[in-house]
Amino acid sequence: MSDMPRQITLEEWDQRYEQLQKAGLHQPSYGGPLSRHVGDGDKRLLKLRYDNSAAALRLWNFLLTEEDRLHEARNKGKRLVGTMKDLGTVPVMAYSFDNLAAFYPDGAWWIPCMMELDAGLLEIADSLGIDESFCPVRAMLGAFVTGAHFPIPELLTCSVGATCDDFSAIAQRLNGLGYPILWWEVPHRRSGEPGETTVKLPGGFSAPKCQVEFVKSELERLKTALEELAGQHLDEEKLSAGIKKANQVRTYLAEIRQLAFTAELCPMPALEMLIAEMLAIHFCSDQDETIEVLRELLGEIKTRVQAGKGVLGADAARIFWVNPVADLQVMNLLEDCGGRICGTEYLFSHALDTIPEDLRPVEALAQMVLADPMVGSSADRAERICADVRRFGAEAVLISRIPGASHCALEGEVISEIVQTELDIPVLEIEVPPVTDSMRPTLRTRAEALVETIKARRKR
Amino acid sequence: MKTIIYTCPYVPAEWIAAHGLRPSRIILSAVSSAGSITRAEGVCPYVRAFIDEATTEKRACGVVMTTVCDQMRRAFDILVRKCNLPVFLMNVPNTWQSVAAQKLYLDELKRLGRFLIQLAGKSFSQDKLSQVMLEYDTVRACILAARGHLTSRQYAEVIAAFGRDGPGTRPDNAEGARPPIAGVPLAIVGGPLMKQSFDIFDIVEQSGGRIVLDATETGERGMCAPFDRRRFRDDPLMELANAYFGGIQDASRRPNNELYKWLDHELVSRGVRGIIFHRYLWCDMWHAELWRLKDWVDLPVLDIDIGGDNETYQHRTPNRIRAFLEMLQ
Ligand code: SF4
Ligand code: SF4
Repeated sequence: MSDMPRQITLEEWDQRYEQLQKAGLHQPSYGGPLSRHVGDGDKRLLKLRYDNSAAALRLWNFLLTEEDRLHEARNKGKRLVGTMKDLGTVPVMAYSFDNLAAFYPDGAWWIPCMMELDAGLLEIADSLGIDESFCPVRAMLGAFVTGAHFPIPELLTCSVGATCDDFSAIAQRLNGLGYPILWWEVPHRRSGEPGETTVKLPGGFSAPKCQVEFVKSELERLKTALEELAGQHLDEEKLSAGIKKANQVRTYLAEIRQLAFTAELCPMPALEMLIAEMLAIHFCSDQDETIEVLRELLGEIKTRVQAGKGVLGADAARIFWVNPVADLQVMNLLEDCGGRICGTEYLFSHALDTIPEDLRPVEALAQMVLADPMVGSSADRAERICADVRRFGAEAVLISRIPGASHCALEGEVISEIVQTELDIPVLEIEVPPVTDSMRPTLRTRAEALVETIKARRKR
Repeated sequence: MKTIIYTCPYVPAEWIAAHGLRPSRIILSAVSSAGSITRAEGVCPYVRAFIDEATTEKRACGVVMTTVCDQMRRAFDILVRKCNLPVFLMNVPNTWQSVAAQKLYLDELKRLGRFLIQLAGKSFSQDKLSQVMLEYDTVRACILAARGHLTSRQYAEVIAAFGRDGPGTRPDNAEGARPPIAGVPLAIVGGPLMKQSFDIFDIVEQSGGRIVLDATETGERGMCAPFDRRRFRDDPLMELANAYFGGIQDASRRPNNELYKWLDHELVSRGVRGIIFHRYLWCDMWHAELWRLKDWVDLPVLDIDIGGDNETYQHRTPNRIRAFLEMLQ
């Protein structure tokens, strides 16, 4: 088997794994052949195609062993925090303590896809009155009820205010079932008014100073709760160290994204890139290991770019992707149709921006909260998308709607209009449910049409 | 007088009136198609109707919206692009227990005040606010007291007219006021009603029931608490904020257990025997409460999901209400 970068099936990975082992592959404790995870019920793995690098193997193994890590953390005496909805801020605080581990119960979003609906989580959500008119995050309710996908944390936090209705309503349902939740408020980010002092936020948006102050006070409330849980004081020094570590993750990701989205040949497939980006928000329950996993991935990408090697053809259509997909297989599909990902806005661009280290740490985190693209207007989000489309040289924007999501129904119209007006590039909206098997031909046709349009425009 | 239109119960009419503008909490009409937006799927029919109303409105000089739910927050994004009127988005926190959240609401009222001054072209006075609050509070008390003397539809319409037209609306002005009829006492619980949904009150009566508790957003539940007359003389704005932010219980609050406390008290005191749960398709906030309510309450609950189309209003809803009442009688 050659070392040429390419996408392979799970079966092929087993052979590749043996080959790498013989060649002296060094693996972390959670390593092993990928196919073993199918035994845990992750049947979707059988239908995906993966990058064939050792770095990708480590990334996948890291992702698929998070639950074990959480149990292990608890067994070692760590206390668990379920940080719901806010993407990327509370975990930075939690990981600044040496005896807390944080995770996103929201991650249950992908369980119906990974287990091809076999886990029964959506049925449990249905039985609790949360049907398919809600976003797939409703699987989280089932995960709490069964206790089978993550340990029930000692503390649950949830940001509300400028968030989606789906999550807010589902979290309230969870609360009504007897799970205590520490609610904290994120105000809708607005522009400053005449006479108001405004703050330029990481990522480029701005907000009035009073909103930053408000969020600071909410974060102080959270900090107190985390201190009580940890039985430790979180001083500025410790929190600053936590921020530095989070920034290490973000710095690697920034480099990875820049290389992967702009290289002439795509060095890393969309699926692995999606998983890597997600590490920025949850660290997969081990911040130190996240840094190592990303370091290795970056190394692989650099080697490929320097060698002029890639996983897709040189003429692949350069597409900017908006919103995460409930079915991971769709990322493979886009590449099958001749596309490649050149830029993403998976709802958490702010978690990829560096947290300011020259500010007091709580102030810096408050700014990050308000820099969330989902906390402000859809027009703001569209502007950020336009800026990134330019930066990465994408030729079209694909908005993947999340079924039932309260923001998707109206934001697509605004984003499409702004992108088309500012950039004059095609915009396609598709809807991606957790398992797309039955609608695969339709999705394929639409993706192919987009790729053809892009290629035809090149000839203009 | 220039008119400001809005629908959210957390927007105090008194605050708008004290700025010399006419507050009009409008009752929307359902739009059966996507209306002014490109696609209807996934959009709450009430939000659709609001966008439609605001983009076609001719008499108003401004629109006030709030962040109480995400769909309305997103609707604001559409309106700033499509509506010819100035539109204001007020941050109404979902959390309510912290002093910071209460202060945020108060600060947002002040920011709204600056928007209103721009539209009215003049500043407001504290005395004017006290006077307006007194006037509204008096009429509000009158309306609440008239509940036993009006049919449930008349009562709902008086509340709606009060929101739309202000304190000129008094229950004794209700057209052809007639005493309530006897019938199985029911509550209607949920988000706001649109014009078409007011027929539900008649359908219930024709089927042998009577709505004794209108716990919809456009009904009693959406009315602020009575003002403390002593407190409001000292600091009317603070009292206004307390009565609205602290006095209106809604599904969107986090946590929303106060809504259930309020319901518990009202359901028991009015001898309610069944609940009509009124919600819109794609409204997550209320939809998620349906089963919680069913688990919590020891009464039959009828789920009326409104898609905003004529079929729902004209056939499905009446038939289901009739069947529900048959079961209760
Ligand atoms: S995908 Fe959208 S609707 Fe679903 S939880 Fe995330 S932000 Fe909310
Ligand atoms: S009915 Fe529900 S979705 Fe519609 S505006 Fe009200 S809270 Fe929002």
